[in-house]
Amino acid sequence: MNPDVLFFFETVISGLMAGVMYALVALGFVLIFKASGVFNFAQGVLALFAALTLTGVMEKFGLPAWAGIIVTILVMIAVAWLIERLVLQHLVNQEPIILFMATIGLAYVIEGTGDILWGSNVKVLDIGLPQGASDFLLDNYNLYVEKLEIVAAVTSAILVAVLAVFFQKTRIGRALRAVADDHQAALSVGISLRTIWVVVWSVAGIVALVAGIMWGTKSGVQFSLSLIALKALPVLILGGFTSIPGAIVGGLIIGVGEKIAEIYAGPIIGGAIENWFAYMLALAFLLFRPQGLFGEKIIERV
Amino acid sequence: MTNDSAAALADAHAANTHHAHAMHTPEARARRIGEVILDVQNITLRFGGVVANSNVSFDIRKGEIRAIIGPNGAGKSSMLNVINGFYHPQEGTITWKGKARAKMQPHEAAATGIARTFQNIALFRGMSTLDNIMTGRVTKMKRGLLAHALHWGPALKEEIEHRSFVEQVIDFLEIQHIRNVPVGRLPYGLQKRVELGRALAAEPELLLLDEPMAGMNLEEKEDMSRFILDVNDEFGTTIALIEHDMGVVMDLSDRVVVLDHGSKIADGTHEEVQGDQRVIDAYLGVAHDDEEEA
Repeated sequence: MNPDVLFFFETVISGLMAGVMYALVALGFVLIFKASGVFNFAQGVLALFAALTLTGVMEKFGLPAWAGIIVTILVMIAVAWLIERLVLQHLVNQEPIILFMATIGLAYVIEGTGDILWGSNVKVLDIGLPQGASDFLLDNYNLYVEKLEIVAAVTSAILVAVLAVFFQKTRIGRALRAVADDHQAALSVGISLRTIWVVVWSVAGIVALVAGIMWGTKSGVQFSLSLIALKALPVLILGGFTSIPGAIVGGLIIGVGEKIAEIYAGPIIGGAIENWFAYMLALAFLLFRPQGLFGEKIIERV
Repeated sequence: MTNDSAAALADAHAANTHHAHAMHTPEARARRIGEVILDVQNITLRFGGVVANSNVSFDIRKGEIRAIIGPNGAGKSSMLNVINGFYHPQEGTITWKGKARAKMQPHEAAATGIARTFQNIALFRGMSTLDNIMTGRVTKMKRGLLAHALHWGPALKEEIEHRSFVEQVIDFLEIQHIRNVPVGRLPYGLQKRVELGRALAAEPELLLLDEPMAGMNLEEKEDMSRFILDVNDEFGTTIALIEHDMGVVMDLSDRVVVLDHGSKIADGTHEEVQGDQRVIDAYLGVAHDDEEEA
């Protein structure tokens, strides 16, 4: 194959894989936004905390990876319960901006707790996910693709499928959407906000764990992990805050877009495009399609 | 008028032949009206220094339509919010179905058979009419979450049963044509009807309607009145409603409680309360500082 074409494919594939990683984080945001209309600033920190907890329990108690994951899931559920108990419960029917501010505070509390519990040094996370390039693709097609990224893509696909069914087809999904629309009305028909919030924050915590595992395996568990939340923001603007498929498509577009821009436009207009491309794209979307690709258009009757 | 005379009032109502709807004969209604189902005693609700309800007592009998009227700011909506658990009064007791009720959360009230609509429509705007009304079935669903998530046999069967009940509600309210439309796009009158549908889907024992006819034109009001009477008649649902349109109140209600400045000023049939001097004063805006309790 023509080396230029091959190189283009490699660029696109590595972009897609990076996009999957962004999408994983964005997914956690969408879940909580759908169920409570809150932009959860703490989502990135949740991913960090989950990864820290996983490495922590594996190191300190010498647990095998599967046991470590189960323990971490339980911890994330406990965290969700605590967040509901200590924060959200007291903010029922408040303006979204107040809940948003609360999640900012929450982010610092969770980050600090992670630091106290597990220390702030960079940790290696190895739960036995395959590392390195896929030999099969390298030998047969001369394509360089990380095995880990393939695992991340497959995992995300499964996660999205499960969540989509959960939201659209089940009674609790309907209850979640109801809560997202109107707290008071949801209460009046007998939906317990507390249960819903614990469920949705637990699910967001588990999604954060998946994201934390993937990012942690790739670049070590470090506190800068919580900053990937910033990359999720343009993904959400692109995909729409309320759409699970939107989070995925938005992530992929940004992943591929920034890689292509970096490699093909970089030499012309200068490097480091990767750092700002996503935000420029988000800005363009805000101007021309503020609800994103898949978001619900909000029609206000006046 | 006190609660002691409630029974006498019900009897008095039997003699009352003033009713717009022939099928809802007073005799039939009097027969249907039963024991006290909700008893509100000495309720005082304060928000900081503001007294929303002051020492209010009244009861609601099974099967009746009970109107709560009063000028703006009289504490009518606060009272509904107390009954359905949104607000917790500082003083007073609420006896619901014969049991004194501890501080109850709204979703718990819903589970015990209290459904409601809101003054400013509170629907799930992004969801279809059908899904909105399906949420009304929340308290009736028994199967576990996991079973639902997996669409497992009995859970699927349950979903289908609930769906068919909801279809009946949709037929009853004549809103088949909008069943798949997101409610945010519906005109106001239809939204009110969907909201009633969601409350009915819960098969409530007590239905609280906060200004069900506010902002409606005459035709829509007539439709809504008919639905309310039919609900009461066909399902025997007890209804408490807040309404400003006196014509509607007269047509619909068995008994009326009148609030003003947070306090109860009259209680009885609409003929009785209409003739009450304090009610007339409250509505005509006569200075009544000497009567204020707060």
